[in-house]
Amino acid sequence: MSDLLYRMRSLFRRGTVEEEMNEELRFHLEREAERNQHRGMPHDQAAREAKMALGGFEQVKEECRDARGVTLVENFIQDLRYGLRMLRRAPGFAAVAVLSLALGIGANAAIFSMADVLLLRPLPVPNPDQVVVLSTDRPDSPEGLGGVSYPDYRDFRNQAKSFEGLVAYQFSAFSIAKSVNDTAHLQTGVLVSDNFFQAMQVTPPLGRGLLPEEGEVSGRNAVVVLAYDFWRREFYGDPAVVGRSIRINGIDFDIVGVAPKEFTGLDVYVRPDFYVPTQMWQRLSGAAADPLEDRSNHAFSVSGRLRPGLTPEKAQAELETIWKGLEPRHSEADQQRLPRVRTVLKARIHDDTEDARLVTLLLGLVAVVLIIACANVANLLLGRARARHREIAIRMALGVSRSRLVRQLLTESVLLALVGGIVGLGFAYAGIRFLQIRPPTSGDGLQIIIAPRLDHRVLLFSLLAAIVSAVLCGLIPALQTSKADLVPALKNAEPGQGVRQRTIGRNALVIAQVALSVVLLAATGMLVNGFRKALLSDPGFRTDHVLILQLDTSFVRYTPPQSQVFYKELLDRAGALPGVTAVSLGENIPFGTGQNGEAVIPEGFQFPKGQSSAGIMTSAVDENYFSAIRMPIRQGRAFTAHDDDKAPLVAIVNEQFVKTYWPNQDPLGKRLQIGSKKNQWLRVVGVTPTAKYFYLGEAPQPYLYVTFAQNPRSRMALFTHTSVDPAGLAMPVRQLVHSLDPNEPVFNVMTLEQFIGAKNHPVQMVVEVVATMGLVGLSLALIGLYGLVAYSVARRTREIGVRMAIGARQIDVLRMVLRQGFLLSLIGIGIGGVIAAAISKAFVAGFVGLGSLNAAVCVLVPLLLMLVTLGACYVPARRAARVDPLAALRAE
Amino acid sequence: MGTDCIDLPQGTLDLLILQTLALGPRHGWSISERIQQVSTDVLRIKQGSLYPALHRLERRGWIKARWGASENNRRAKFYELTARGHKQLKDEAEAWKKLTAAVADVLGTA
Repeated sequence: MSDLLYRMRSLFRRGTVEEEMNEELRFHLEREAERNQHRGMPHDQAAREAKMALGGFEQVKEECRDARGVTLVENFIQDLRYGLRMLRRAPGFAAVAVLSLALGIGANAAIFSMADVLLLRPLPVPNPDQVVVLSTDRPDSPEGLGGVSYPDYRDFRNQAKSFEGLVAYQFSAFSIAKSVNDTAHLQTGVLVSDNFFQAMQVTPPLGRGLLPEEGEVSGRNAVVVLAYDFWRREFYGDPAVVGRSIRINGIDFDIVGVAPKEFTGLDVYVRPDFYVPTQMWQRLSGAAADPLEDRSNHAFSVSGRLRPGLTPEKAQAELETIWKGLEPRHSEADQQRLPRVRTVLKARIHDDTEDARLVTLLLGLVAVVLIIACANVANLLLGRARARHREIAIRMALGVSRSRLVRQLLTESVLLALVGGIVGLGFAYAGIRFLQIRPPTSGDGLQIIIAPRLDHRVLLFSLLAAIVSAVLCGLIPALQTSKADLVPALKNAEPGQGVRQRTIGRNALVIAQVALSVVLLAATGMLVNGFRKALLSDPGFRTDHVLILQLDTSFVRYTPPQSQVFYKELLDRAGALPGVTAVSLGENIPFGTGQNGEAVIPEGFQFPKGQSSAGIMTSAVDENYFSAIRMPIRQGRAFTAHDDDKAPLVAIVNEQFVKTYWPNQDPLGKRLQIGSKKNQWLRVVGVTPTAKYFYLGEAPQPYLYVTFAQNPRSRMALFTHTSVDPAGLAMPVRQLVHSLDPNEPVFNVMTLEQFIGAKNHPVQMVVEVVATMGLVGLSLALIGLYGLVAYSVARRTREIGVRMAIGARQIDVLRMVLRQGFLLSLIGIGIGGVIAAAISKAFVAGFVGLGSLNAAVCVLVPLLLMLVTLGACYVPARRAARVDPLAALRAE
Repeated sequence: MGTDCIDLPQGTLDLLILQTLALGPRHGWSISERIQQVSTDVLRIKQGSLYPALHRLERRGWIKARWGASENNRRAKFYELTARGHKQLKDEAEAWKKLTAAVADVLGTA
């Protein structure tokens, strides 16, 4: 510490320290001379002897500086100044190098910001590394986290010793009104266990968190903690809000606190607007039985804070023991579940494997872009090294040590990288602005926010990227340059030795760049191609001239008969609106994220051991649904008005369902059971083609339709089909709902095209990002390639002169140079092709429905690279061949 | 100065400086004079190596410097031992004694 202060003083008060050093040494010389005079020496001799005894004045000072430990830093500053001077003197070189690095670093920073927000960023709680994620995973669904039922959570919490705290939470959309007369609107709330804030070590700056007694009795404590953003937005940051009340699903809740600004919940995508106790779930949902007591309702996410020194593995072992003890209370299906404890990062990866893969892929691609950029700069530096070999040789002749020289050259590349990094952050900022995805609310009304930002983590990452690239592009040129052969260099001749070695090195660089470009372009080509194909594919139903609007009568706590009346009334009146050609109800909006499913048992299908049903997406629809969205019926019939609650239960499946469960059998008349109608059989009356249900690129999914009349739901979507612009119907339909019940909130009011377009937006964005990356990589590679090849051909001007002097024709020279360029690019393309082929296999395995290496990519990429290499050879070769042999021989 | 003076082994200069300063603050020239005197001119320290050593010791925190008036009333930089310097001197002196004793043993001159 004191050492640092001492060095700092030496550095920053250098003037003073230098002055003091001079004074100290001068004093010494005077005293010594005085003493010498005392001993009888004449004045002049006394002073001379004193100086001789001390040794070189400046040398002593330099040694003192060394002893004080300032030289390292001083040298660095000196190098930096020198570097800046050199860069100013070669602005073209500096601009290309900085731009190359800026593109590379900027692209990396932007992609990192996305990876950070999707996967890497720690939870916004104190000591986030102690937090782990608990789940009870189903063995039949290898991906995704299995939710935890509240009774299971309670047993874990009471029995497990591995955790300092175990919290349960569940996101849901709620209808919010600030007062009785206020129009209700939909917000994202989260039901949390009473210990949520305390265990996550989150202290509300205003009011309090939840109290233990608020987790005791169902429906007793209607209290709410507001999220910071919601409080700022809805209450304008009024601190007097604590003690006031707010209506949630028509129930008055007392506001008891406001969560801290930095705490945005435990989920990557969903930021809650408020927190209410789990014990309010039954009252809020209007359910007849308390869902908190239902051991088969795996609705909760559970996180825990590990005790110090414990690993997730140990905690999991404890939970497995507890789970064994709970076995008698579990249904047969639930006994198959396995409790799992994962770190937050692992849980995120497990929960969304496809996102994780995509992020890894993008990070990999963008790293290749950076490597290409570094290769460019390394080339430029190598080129400059030759131009500078005289300067370097002079400095070495003057006694500069090699390590000092390497340090100085590295300082120059660090300087380049830092400037490149700063410019790159500008690119990154633009990129991040582009990446800020704000899709509209998902099908279940939860606001999804993916907000990459340029924060300290991204800055740190960019700095790291800059330093890595400085070393990558600077070290080898620096080492090579400082190997300069003194004598010939000083004689202003070509460095004799090492030419061959250097040519090999540069040829290797050309090959590496070509190979990397092939890999990058093949990968991006495949991705873009695959995604584009997906985006252009037919979803299997009509998307134009449809207005959607979602409703949930549980927000106004209707009974099922009340709901039926409400929806019937709505259909009748909406159908009568001018411009409307048809109206229908469907439970799931195609491409919505919160689509419902059922545990389905198809008759006669033998499930693997331990599995008794399959989770299949299921939508309750009315009799007009299929005709209205133009989904054809391939076999059998559509639902009719006669399939009501008194008629036999019926179902319609899609072709993929038939293929999976009743292959080569006639599906009509087959029966199946669904979880919500235990021990009753539904008869299949129709088959629809397999459409797209979640995203355009998805693999074929089995899908099930049941009738709304036989399966009443509180949450339904109204599909209004129009002969006019459907957006124009938004207001009339909204007003219609308001006139039926002013407290009923409506959400997701938009045209189906808008809805699906918004769902496709992230995919489109990925396509654009990948395509941009490919283009950036390609242009970097082309610039680098051209410079590299052109330069090495230009270097051979003398050799060409010799060849021509001894009788070679222009065409011979051209052919020779082109043949070599051709060979280099061919080797590069070959190596790149092999790597790309290997990678493409991994792609196809990792992303369902993605394109393979298509012909366009396979042909265009090598052709383009070959052309550039040949062009880069041709121009300088022709120039060289035209040169008068004598002039060429005299060159350099 | 005769020809039979010996050059200082590495590190001993530091010990000598610390020992010299144990008796009280001194400036650089006086340290060099003092060492020269007590070592009866056999040990020869190059004056040029004294100052870097002083700066090194100061950086390590064993001695500290302040400006004061010299015996002939001129501004001079005085060095004195710090508490850590005292401890360092004690440790090093002991180590030195042990070393010389051991070496003497080996040479059979004890």
